[in-house]
Amino acid sequence: MTFVDIIAALSKGAAYTVGVTVACIATGFTVGLAVAVIRRLGWRFAAPLTNVYLAVFRGVPMLVLLFMVFFGLPSLGIQVPPLAAMMLSLGLISGAYLSEVFRGALNAVEPDEILAAQAMGLTRWQTLRCIELPQMLRASVPGMINEFTTVLKYSPFAYTVGIPEIMKQATALVSTTMRGVEIYLAVGLMYFSIYWMLVLGVWTIERCFRVPGLTHR
Amino acid sequence: MMGDLAVLQDVLVYWPEIARGLASTLMLSVIITLTGLIAGIAVFYLTLSSSDVCRRAVQGYISIFIGTPLIVFLFLLYYGLPQWGIKLTPLTVAVLGFTLNVAAYNARYMTTAYNGLDPSEIEAAKAQGFTSRQIFHLMTLPQVLRLSIPALTNQAIQNLKDTSLVFLIQYAEFFAQMQEVALRTFRFFDVYLLTGLVYFILVSVLTNLARRAEMFADLPPASRHNR
Amino acid sequence: MALLEVRHLKKTFGDRAVLDGISFDLEEGGIKAIMGPSGCGKSTLLRCINRLIEPTSGSILFRGQEVTGRDTDVRALRQMIGFVFQNYALYRHLCVLDNVTVGPRKLKRMSRREAEGKALHELQRLNVADLRHSFPSQLSGGQKQRVAIARALAMDPAVLFFDEPTSALDPVMAREVAAVINQLHSENVTVLCVTHDFELARSVADRIIFLRDGRIRAEDTADNLRNHYDDHEIRTFFGPGAAPV
Repeated sequence: MTFVDIIAALSKGAAYTVGVTVACIATGFTVGLAVAVIRRLGWRFAAPLTNVYLAVFRGVPMLVLLFMVFFGLPSLGIQVPPLAAMMLSLGLISGAYLSEVFRGALNAVEPDEILAAQAMGLTRWQTLRCIELPQMLRASVPGMINEFTTVLKYSPFAYTVGIPEIMKQATALVSTTMRGVEIYLAVGLMYFSIYWMLVLGVWTIERCFRVPGLTHR
Repeated sequence: MMGDLAVLQDVLVYWPEIARGLASTLMLSVIITLTGLIAGIAVFYLTLSSSDVCRRAVQGYISIFIGTPLIVFLFLLYYGLPQWGIKLTPLTVAVLGFTLNVAAYNARYMTTAYNGLDPSEIEAAKAQGFTSRQIFHLMTLPQVLRLSIPALTNQAIQNLKDTSLVFLIQYAEFFAQMQEVALRTFRFFDVYLLTGLVYFILVSVLTNLARRAEMFADLPPASRHNR
Repeated sequence: MALLEVRHLKKTFGDRAVLDGISFDLEEGGIKAIMGPSGCGKSTLLRCINRLIEPTSGSILFRGQEVTGRDTDVRALRQMIGFVFQNYALYRHLCVLDNVTVGPRKLKRMSRREAEGKALHELQRLNVADLRHSFPSQLSGGQKQRVAIARALAMDPAVLFFDEPTSALDPVMAREVAAVINQLHSENVTVLCVTHDFELARSVADRIIFLRDGRIRAEDTADNLRNHYDDHEIRTFFGPGAAPV
């Protein structure tokens, strides 16, 4: 079995790895954005809720959450499919961290521009949508890349709930071939390639929306 | 849910194992935080090297460990190396793997802080005749460490949470013990909830300490960030 | 009937009265400048009129309508008042054209085409139409100022408010701004201009309101303020030999 054979065998899992990562990133992005917006609008009743969410999902390890959802909830009669379990653990964790990234970028929006928007007669919501969010998303790109990378790096734990992604393929292959060194090196290489594709992909999207003088690069 | 406290009774039967697991978790966290810090300083020092080859090699190392999952490296050491007759204990693998991983992150935080320093200070020190090693440990390192406190303490908190994955290489830390308890009591949700609660409390305590350290270091607001 | 009638307007922050009973009128098509030392309440006054700051008491009639009430449509009021900020406050992520069209599109529900036509018209009026695809960071201070004015005009406001329009500009560009304001005046735009700059006030306004410690101390022409007042404060501020601020 050559190194190329190993890569070929593992690549069956690559689509699942990408799928899990994208699903968790999408969850995290949506929830993180919603939390950041709610906090920005200063809705009083929502503040304790978002605080609890942030504290819990930044305070509990991802694997513990995953096991709580996937192996724990069935004992309460709630069956959660593996991908949903990943989204409810890893996805929501990344949502908590992303909302902090977004919050920082929202705080960096010039207060004068918000004042100008209000002086023009835009509603609070229009100001948020037309002025604050477009600037915030552009400024958040480096933070988003860090967070997306973290999601990718925690995605192998999907194998513990039976998703046949790269790590799962690798453990199966090791148990039959006993060639762990080559196989795990190949796994590392594959994750590193996906990581670079992810980073390049995000920067490519960013370039389409780049505005001169807005972000420091 | 935890409506009845019976779960505590069920769980407390296994308290010696749980306590041992908790001790292992805390020990591992402390070790890797310290080794990760020391190795991180060394890696950061090498990123400032005048040799092009050395700098590139170090950047490669940092980017590999930032771009690949830690668990892959741990599996390589624990399940791969025996193929060549090298058998390491779970603790050795965990310390080795985490140290290399945490060092890469810490070095990156320190580089960020370093890039924010005033270069004229270093120039002034050079002009005064300090050697580059003196400049590093008298000027650069203390300032960089001070500015990196938020990032480094966040990393320490992250370390505590991440030790929960070493049960996958058969190291009997807290989470491993709790899984055992869950299997024996058949109270999966309650036990995992309790596990989460314990981590949550530990993280809260650490976060509190970290914020105090930041206040003590009296950092400029811009240097505070998450993760 | 005056476009704007301000009566006994008060604004207190804590126990400090920033505006202490301000009354003045602004005629349709008229142009007035408000001057006074730093902290006299000039900017607060502008912001009270469009309710960016809530006045404590007093009355503001806009085209005869009371606009300080709780049931006033504040956003409709703001749409009628074009506001040009001291530091221009252009939206940094939008190009010049989008900066000008965002108001008409979001507030007047114009189509993109229609809004861009309107925007181009205003940009041409201010001589910056060729910059329409540039971003704020690529413009000089004077250019930003003109874009900010075009952005305000694109809403067809009943009045333009200027908040220190020249304080961030060099003297040459400041004169240019004065020329722009005079041009607008000749096109029958109503203007209320807060400024530190006596040259600007004299060259654009028929009448200058002198504000100090939250009160109007005088309202008169520039020449009269400079030459015919015995009041010590007015003499030091406007009088011959007064330090240009």
